[in-house]
Amino acid sequence: MSLVILPLTIQTTAALVSLLGTLLVVSVVVYLFKTSSDYEEKSSAKAKVYRMRDRYFLGLALTILIVLITSLSMLPYPKFHKNPDSVVTVVAMQWLWKMAPEAIAADQDLVAFAGKNEITLPVDKLIEFRVTSADVNHNFAIYNSKGTLIAQTQAMPKYYNNLQYKFTEKGEYEVLCLEYCGMPHAYMVAKIHIE
Amino acid sequence: MIQINTTEKQQHRKLFVTWAITFLILFPVLILLGMLMRIKQGEIIDISMSKFYSFMTLHGLGMAGVLFSIALASLSYLLGTRYSKISVSLGYYVYYGVVIGVVGLVIGTLIGEFGAGWYMLYPLPFKGAYWTDWSLGVSFFSILILGVAWLIQCLHILNSIAKQYGGFKNILGWQYLGKSEPAQELPSIILISAVSVLASVFAVLAGAVMDILFLMQYFEPSLELDPLMMKNIIFFFGHTIVNATMYIGIAWLYAILPEFTGRDWKITKVVAIAWNATFFFILFAYLHHLYMDFVQPLALQYVGQMASYFSSVPATAVTMFGVIGQLYRSKVGWSMVPVMFLLGVAGWAIGGFAAVVDSTIAVNRALHNTLWVPAHFHTYMLMGIVLIIFAFLYYIGANENKDNDIEPGWGFKTFVTGSYGFLLMFYLGGLFSIPRRFSDYAGIDTQVIHETGALLAKIAVVFITFILIGLASMYSTLIKKLLQSLKFQA
Repeated sequence: MSLVILPLTIQTTAALVSLLGTLLVVSVVVYLFKTSSDYEEKSSAKAKVYRMRDRYFLGLALTILIVLITSLSMLPYPKFHKNPDSVVTVVAMQWLWKMAPEAIAADQDLVAFAGKNEITLPVDKLIEFRVTSADVNHNFAIYNSKGTLIAQTQAMPKYYNNLQYKFTEKGEYEVLCLEYCGMPHAYMVAKIHIE
Repeated sequence: MIQINTTEKQQHRKLFVTWAITFLILFPVLILLGMLMRIKQGEIIDISMSKFYSFMTLHGLGMAGVLFSIALASLSYLLGTRYSKISVSLGYYVYYGVVIGVVGLVIGTLIGEFGAGWYMLYPLPFKGAYWTDWSLGVSFFSILILGVAWLIQCLHILNSIAKQYGGFKNILGWQYLGKSEPAQELPSIILISAVSVLASVFAVLAGAVMDILFLMQYFEPSLELDPLMMKNIIFFFGHTIVNATMYIGIAWLYAILPEFTGRDWKITKVVAIAWNATFFFILFAYLHHLYMDFVQPLALQYVGQMASYFSSVPATAVTMFGVIGQLYRSKVGWSMVPVMFLLGVAGWAIGGFAAVVDSTIAVNRALHNTLWVPAHFHTYMLMGIVLIIFAFLYYIGANENKDNDIEPGWGFKTFVTGSYGFLLMFYLGGLFSIPRRFSDYAGIDTQVIHETGALLAKIAVVFITFILIGLASMYSTLIKKLLQSLKFQA
């Protein structure tokens, strides 16, 4: 399934679901405008609405339950992680990325960490990015060559956020900072080459 | 209910109109700052990056603060003239406190170039590199003044309604939770005021804690705070205060809409349970801001998604269905106030729906900090809270009499059309993964992001122009009516 020209991604699914929700709200508003001139006595009008509300309530409760059960079983957190094929340390600092294909010692000086803002990684391998920051909060966000955001995690001083991702397509990926980190925040970019 | 004399009511009215005019001046000015940001992103005019982020900071803090302030002032007016004793003289102290706070923020951001964003994610304020040191102090003190002013008014409201309506448990509607009907009916506005103002108190206290910690670090730079803890505190403050602003607006919606439909809107057991549940969910929903912090305890991530989902139940099944019950075949005259209430609740529903979608962790990992986020909260604010606030302004302009309410004109229609066009550009931005809080997109190598981001921003500027034209037309009658409302006689 695709949205005319857009492939099915999390973004297009979210947009489609939100569009349907919006259309539902708009329909209710239009209906209320159109029917408001047909007067109905208060108690019978309210009784009708309340009957509808009861059905809505059950439908909503069921939907929430189903979506919670399905969506909470596929989270990007460490508890759901597998053994990675390789580890990449990512140190964010104002306003550059330092990446290196190695684990980092807990007491290593992050400012002196010798990573680069460009890295080459293998396709179809599970990569674990261990992401931290040497100064303020940043956000390590990976975009594919079509400009779609495919994975992200915060880069926080004093903490390591471990992000696992398997690149299934070769090509060029761009890293953007998705947490405001000071003036040149929009220029804090890096490259990942997948071969 | 209370009875007050004409002089007292005139005093309340004068204070409220002062608030209203102040709001009506600040609102378009803050929109202009947002417009300048979109102009820069659209590469129409080049504005320096430091100015962009100062504008962003003032736009965010200013809008949230001004909307919360006018909501609190509107609620205080309605409570003070009908339901419980609210002090006008204290109201003026609060007003001056807010004005001083806002002026301080204007100086801190526009002159001192303070630009850490409304949320000042620790330790950015202290490591921002370009803003002046004094602008930090001025901004923190200004926020503290705002917080103290809000806290005083919130506590005054809670104290006043609790005194009038039989204590704290009663204003939370707990007497409706038993088997029998309570002996004395509680006006629905009191229950919702209690819930929303109490939530505001929690939020403001969290904001105060953060602000005081910031001030401590400001004077003692060697101090180190935990970034994850600070993140939790700031998002608890920000998320809760914005939610509370909407719920404060809903309080007067419950009181005023029935005057237009002729149908009462009473508290029942379901309504009481719904609003108590809402209070609970408001306090935990903020956790969805921290989904991308993988080190946050997993249980809190679950709680964040569940609280966000569950909050939609009372909001839609009780309040929104309540609005439908009010309006369905009611022969309501579609004058400005009921139209704004209906569209305001619709905007709340649309923005809320998009928020719930994004509060799904599995979705958030693709939408977090893209333009989807400003998309949904601008819907909630601009086409939700703002319309419900404007409904109140028009209601006062009509001298609290539905027969004096005016018909929606072309200005209002232009405002709504412009707003939804403007919002659509944000949603499309989210769909196309355009990052938020980017001064411009020129640094991005992936051409499609750069070009799409700039194009959407350009179109958004056109729609913002519609918003401003619509507002100008609405202002021409609204301000006249508000000033005339000062001359009312009992």
